[in-house]
Amino acid sequence: MNLTEIISVPTFWTIWLLVHLILAVSLLGSLTHQAVSVMLPVRQTAARPGFVTRFRAVPAAGYATAVCILWVLTFLVGSFIYTKYRIYIRIPIEQAGFWWTQGFFDFKEHVASICLTILPAYWFLWKNTLNPEYDIPRKMVTVTLAVACWFLFIVGHVLNNTRGFA
Amino acid sequence: MSTNTFTSKATPAPTSWVSSARFRAFVATFSTVGPVAYCIALYMNWPVFTFHPGTNRFAWGLERAISGEGPNMTWYGWTLTALFTAAVLGYLGALLPERITNKISFNFVWVLPWLAVPFLIWDLRQWWFHP
Repeated sequence: MNLTEIISVPTFWTIWLLVHLILAVSLLGSLTHQAVSVMLPVRQTAARPGFVTRFRAVPAAGYATAVCILWVLTFLVGSFIYTKYRIYIRIPIEQAGFWWTQGFFDFKEHVASICLTILPAYWFLWKNTLNPEYDIPRKMVTVTLAVACWFLFIVGHVLNNTRGFA
Repeated sequence: MSTNTFTSKATPAPTSWVSSARFRAFVATFSTVGPVAYCIALYMNWPVFTFHPGTNRFAWGLERAISGEGPNMTWYGWTLTALFTAAVLGYLGALLPERITNKISFNFVWVLPWLAVPFLIWDLRQWWFHP
């Protein structure tokens, strides 16, 4: 049985777009928690912890593998959707003259790929937390990935809303 | 008064291969070469393959858009070029003596992506300054 007999083609791609969104939100949450926890680590406290303290008081090392898997999955699903985007969204965007929108999407794809290549080091640094030599690179790589993830998410979100294509 | 033990510090003990010198050399080289290789692949337009989404057709290397077949996509190919280059050089890096590979700083891993940003902005100038 052909899948298009059950759901329409637009529904099929909308489901994949939602999967991409769910993965992206999970990744964003994980990386934000982790980045905040390394930049503003929580020491032992006698006071009752507030929201911000609880937000950054996460076992950051435990996020590393999940972040890598989520980044790769989000990347793969995004790559799959991109095939349709290239024809059905990008061409109308260009025809409508949204040049900066297009530029930011291309920027997004480059950032996603570059960050994909730094994931092995990120994972290694988080698996060797006992080595103080890696403290600064671990912090900075994590923050770099978090900033990149926010950039990718915001650009994707804005693009999703462009002219109501999604 | 009770003392809460909220803390961000978690220190799992690494397994032997994760903390080995060879694995360190591989990931340090891979993640240092990766961003550079991607930027070179982008600048030189060296995709491993080209995808034509209009016809769902793959072609090795760079293949220009063909009339009647719609646009071509080279981003997948650039990404694969970068990953392949990083993997090969990472493997070779892992074969080098430890006294050499220990000099590869992990700070390159976060500095190079930031250095790539101005290059990417410049590379995308066709969109920013489109008439």
